[in-house]
Amino acid sequence: MAVVKAEPIIEAKKIYYSYAGEEEEFSPALSDVDLKINQGEYLTLLGANGSGKTTLLKLLNALLIPSQGEVLVKGISTVEAEQLELVRQTCGMIFQNPDNQIVATTVEEDIAFGLENLALPSAEIRRRVDNVASRLGLTHLLQHPPHRLSGGEKQRTAIAGILAMQPACILMDEPTAMLDPAGRLEVLKTVKDLNKKESLAIVHVTHSPAEAAEADRIVVLELGRIVADGKPEEILTNLKLLHKLGLEGTVAAELADLLRQEGLKLPAAIMSNRELIESLCSSEQIS
Amino acid sequence: MPGTPFASDALDNITFSLGRGSFTLLIGPSGSGKTTLIQHLNGLLKPTSGAVYFDGKKIGADKAALLSLRRRIGLVFQMPEEQFFSETVYDEIAYAPRNLGLDENKVKERVVKAVERVGLEHKDLLDRHPFQLSAGQKRLVAFAAVLSIEPEVLILDEPAAGLDPAGKQKLFNLLYGLNRSEEITVLVSTHHLDEVAALADYLLALKGGRLMMAGKAREVLARRTELQGLGLALPQVTEIMDQLSVRGLPVRKDIYSLSAACEEIIRVKRADQG
Amino acid sequence: MSRSITLGHYLPGDSAIHQLNPRIKVPVLMVILVILFAIKTLTGLVAMLVAVFLLFAVARVPFSYFLKGLRPIIYIALFALIIFIFFTKGGVVLFRFGPFTVESEGLWQGLFVIIRLVTLVLFSLLLTLTTTPLSLTHGLGYYLKPLSRIGLPAEEVVMIMAIALRFIPTLIEESQRLMRAQVSRGADFESGSIFRKAKNLVPLIVPLFVSAFRRADELALAMEARGYRLGARRTRLHEDLIKTQDWLVLLMALLLLAAVIYNQYLR
Repeated sequence: MAVVKAEPIIEAKKIYYSYAGEEEEFSPALSDVDLKINQGEYLTLLGANGSGKTTLLKLLNALLIPSQGEVLVKGISTVEAEQLELVRQTCGMIFQNPDNQIVATTVEEDIAFGLENLALPSAEIRRRVDNVASRLGLTHLLQHPPHRLSGGEKQRTAIAGILAMQPACILMDEPTAMLDPAGRLEVLKTVKDLNKKESLAIVHVTHSPAEAAEADRIVVLELGRIVADGKPEEILTNLKLLHKLGLEGTVAAELADLLRQEGLKLPAAIMSNRELIESLCSSEQIS
Repeated sequence: MPGTPFASDALDNITFSLGRGSFTLLIGPSGSGKTTLIQHLNGLLKPTSGAVYFDGKKIGADKAALLSLRRRIGLVFQMPEEQFFSETVYDEIAYAPRNLGLDENKVKERVVKAVERVGLEHKDLLDRHPFQLSAGQKRLVAFAAVLSIEPEVLILDEPAAGLDPAGKQKLFNLLYGLNRSEEITVLVSTHHLDEVAALADYLLALKGGRLMMAGKAREVLARRTELQGLGLALPQVTEIMDQLSVRGLPVRKDIYSLSAACEEIIRVKRADQG
Repeated sequence: MSRSITLGHYLPGDSAIHQLNPRIKVPVLMVILVILFAIKTLTGLVAMLVAVFLLFAVARVPFSYFLKGLRPIIYIALFALIIFIFFTKGGVVLFRFGPFTVESEGLWQGLFVIIRLVTLVLFSLLLTLTTTPLSLTHGLGYYLKPLSRIGLPAEEVVMIMAIALRFIPTLIEESQRLMRAQVSRGADFESGSIFRKAKNLVPLIVPLFVSAFRRADELALAMEARGYRLGARRTRLHEDLIKTQDWLVLLMALLLLAAVIYNQYLR
């Protein structure tokens, strides 16, 4: 019996991107990037500042158009201007600064913003806003103005606004960078739930190894090129690569590495605290 | 240089003191009042009741007194590079000493010294436009802009916010260096214990405007359940050590950095063998 | 930790007046202003004053708001009253002290002007107390629409104003924070000549501008990412449909205007 492989939601084919005015002097922001993102996949884009990860993210929802190659969203090329609405509706994006993505004077109006842009009828907008607010625990905040929300609440409002558009994929550009630990957990949990329970694909740009560990798959970028693509266990324990790029592995991975340098024998791929503790507690010999 | 009771809507009956040359951490969730508290320490805000004392003298409202207070206490706000307005890095760093009335020669000395103290090469940097710098450089320039005051006390609100992990570590090491080598009293308000817990002498924990815990860092950090009750996350490394201890490994629990953790685990393993 | 910053004194509520469509409130207010200037008799004005008190009661606005709202004009009103009392002559002489006489005509006219002023202010206050700034913006935007035929991008103007309203509290907080940060670097925004003060403002103005431009950039990107396109058709969550009561209120206002004009000018 043939197994039909689902079409990837987003496909980037041999894309190059240069910012205007930077042509010859600097290398392009992105070179020769091939990437497929499948339905329900949780992908992390990892890289140092300047690696091109944010550029790549913006190419995925047509905020930027590739200089060469093409990006297909549900089979539609992002170059096609008439289909832009569909592209943006399929791939929603959350940005780093919680304040600078809230447009409206109240939470409910902001959640409605995308739907208003899609010119949906008022009653449908109302229905979706209420539905999404209850799914994300924002119902009690609907009348609140943005300056009375915490960072975590603002980001959840942004997520609600995207969710209301019924996307297939959510793109996130370091969404927790400006939040306190509580806000960070709030947002990460919300996103993880959406991925697991509703099969929403997630593309998460970050430089935090702890956040990256939550993904199904990590793609590592360096100076505009993909240098690694694999499971978190493979990538986050490859300290040689990570350190070279100015990144770090998870705390457990780093500690394991230090211990190995001191002669402690530990299994190669330790990523989580639990794995490290298990290994240490099952009497290892020191050379 | 003690601070004494204040009470206000945002802060409730807080009493503590910062000793000269100490490195203190102020931790607490958002909304706990950390920023409000900090702004009382250099006279930006006045307590509704109670008072703040610096070097034995009460901080009042007299403008001249406040200006001389700000010669001795430097306050670095969150995302300080957002305050930039000058055309050159030099002018930006010179702003504070100029405001304090120093003559241009002295100002120049201070600017150069401040840049060196934060570890930046000053040769080309001083003439460049601040907006042309990288994020890490901007942050360091913003620090230099406060260091040029040559304060005795340095108070920083989330100094590592927005930096990548390497940047964070570099920054806290810089602060630690300034504290130890130049005896600058440092107070850091932060959410992130990971990179900095190992460096602190004292720790103050705020929640809902009240001072919930205060004391030597090692002692406060040892009160795990209380910290968790306040919604504060211990450094990852410390959690690992705690769990090892629960599993029977006789490791010390006052471990707050990777290197200390490594040392301790090796020690225990070797002891186990031999 | 931010306090809620209310603009234009909006007082939340759900009275009949709160629920009137802003598209109707604005022209009705204008009709009322015309009425106030058309009325020639003191009794007429007093009737209007009583009417506005009643409307305040319908809107369930506490009395304290009355007084707060009248505070700005108290000096003008007193000043006008004094001018009229002492300098308008006519009618019966009421008081005399030294070289000054107060005659009844002066008192009458003074009262007339003051009552009209107070009633005018109270009606406007009623509008701002019962309508959110955003609502008003949309209401006014409706009247700008015909201008799009001559090239004025009415919808975009409304969007701009709405976004400005959204960011005002945020910008206020930001500027307070910035000011404190610069003061911590020894800045002095209070002393010195006008020139000095202006120069000292540079460290406040430049960062705020830079930050505003950056915000605008990021916000524009976020809006685009959510499907916003200039000129494209948009619907709204809150439709602001004009209901029967809105028409009735407009009709009543127009009828009143007609009655006043008939009564005061045509009889």
